[in-house]
Amino acid sequence: MMTISFDLIALNVITGFLGSGKTTLLRNLLASDFGNETAVLINEFGEVGIDHLLVGEIAPDTVLLKSGCVCCSIRGELKDSLVQLFSRRQKGEVPKFCRVILETTGLADPAPIFATILADPMLRHHFRLGVIVTVVDAFNAALHERLHPEWTAQVAAADRLVLTKRDLVTDQTGEALQKHLQRINPAALVLIGTEVKPQDPLLLTAGLHDSGPEREAERWIQNLRSRPQHESDNRGAPSDDTHSTHSRINSFCLVFDHQINWTAFGLWLSMLLNRHGQNVLRVKGILNIAGADYPVAIHGVQHLVHPPVHLPRWPDADRQSRIVFIVDGIDQETVEESFRTFCEYLK
Amino acid sequence: MCGLCGLLGTEGDWSNSIASALPARQQRFTRIALANRILSFFRLRLEDFQGVSYVLTSPTGHREIVADFGQIWGVAETMTGRPIDPLDPALLAWLSSAPQ
Repeated sequence: MMTISFDLIALNVITGFLGSGKTTLLRNLLASDFGNETAVLINEFGEVGIDHLLVGEIAPDTVLLKSGCVCCSIRGELKDSLVQLFSRRQKGEVPKFCRVILETTGLADPAPIFATILADPMLRHHFRLGVIVTVVDAFNAALHERLHPEWTAQVAAADRLVLTKRDLVTDQTGEALQKHLQRINPAALVLIGTEVKPQDPLLLTAGLHDSGPEREAERWIQNLRSRPQHESDNRGAPSDDTHSTHSRINSFCLVFDHQINWTAFGLWLSMLLNRHGQNVLRVKGILNIAGADYPVAIHGVQHLVHPPVHLPRWPDADRQSRIVFIVDGIDQETVEESFRTFCEYLK
Repeated sequence: MCGLCGLLGTEGDWSNSIASALPARQQRFTRIALANRILSFFRLRLEDFQGVSYVLTSPTGHREIVADFGQIWGVAETMTGRPIDPLDPALLAWLSSAPQ
């Protein structure tokens, strides 16, 4: 069986739009005790690595990726940088870091980063994906969302959403944005940038693949329970908030009382992602699997699904399965009917 | 290698990574049987190949080796020239009506 070992090196991703405050967050993180065990990869957009210089003063192990966005075209570069970093660590040329932070450009879609780790036979035995942090500029969020589809992909892929420049907007706008972010990505934790302490484990070290995955799963369950089963946020629908767009991005949560046949579920989800992966920005769920005493957490981005995690216990007496989908142009009823049919007739 | 099942390692597909009470070989055949229920709608058939990969066969005799479960649907689409879509109402109706 494929397993995740906790001594794998975590690869955390800090993403967010240009000027949203990623480098500031990174500098704060590295200036704290946390920086002692962290190596940094920076994906610089442009010829001169200004951000690299800023961070370089704090973390001399920084490796600068040579060009452009972290997208399919430079997966090889990301792989090479990670391999090189790992090799230097093993040779003792750099301290034995236990975490790598990758800061992406503002235009990067996080999915190819996962693909690089999951698909590469060398990397997947040495690295694992850690928490993904998306920094959201509260002042420019509406503009970014309207003009750049990558903004939504970054919000959808996040495990943590750090809201910066919150003090530059009114309370009403800030609260509306927070609600809007939670509607797009109901499973992510929203943190206010000025309130986040760099050493706070919630920020980078309390993910599903870190030690204590049940606490992260409990946060998911809490977030998903607070969202009614049939409430979906279709941002194409008329709305009076300033963040509505003409996008077809929609998020919904499916809830099932019965136990799920894992084999049927695996076939169904792999078929769905093969055909519609481009339009499934995120899928996250806690499943009650037939024959298993404890829940299983799954999460995926577009075509990619992380290795599922067996959780050590249920947080309470509720045994419902919940799966949240963040999708583009796919409606809840169609997905739900398909899933129910597969579960009912594939036994 | 699993001494009881004779299976060399395991495939890297995420859906194969949940611990099961079933022996690995039996689990593998169960997955193949369920996949064939779906694939028969497209007149394709999946078979085990030496416990390490799979063979997908079309009604014309075209055969393709597939390394792991994650690749089956993409290969099936190439072989049939049709989308293999779990949201397709015709597939769902067929699954509901086909004998189990």
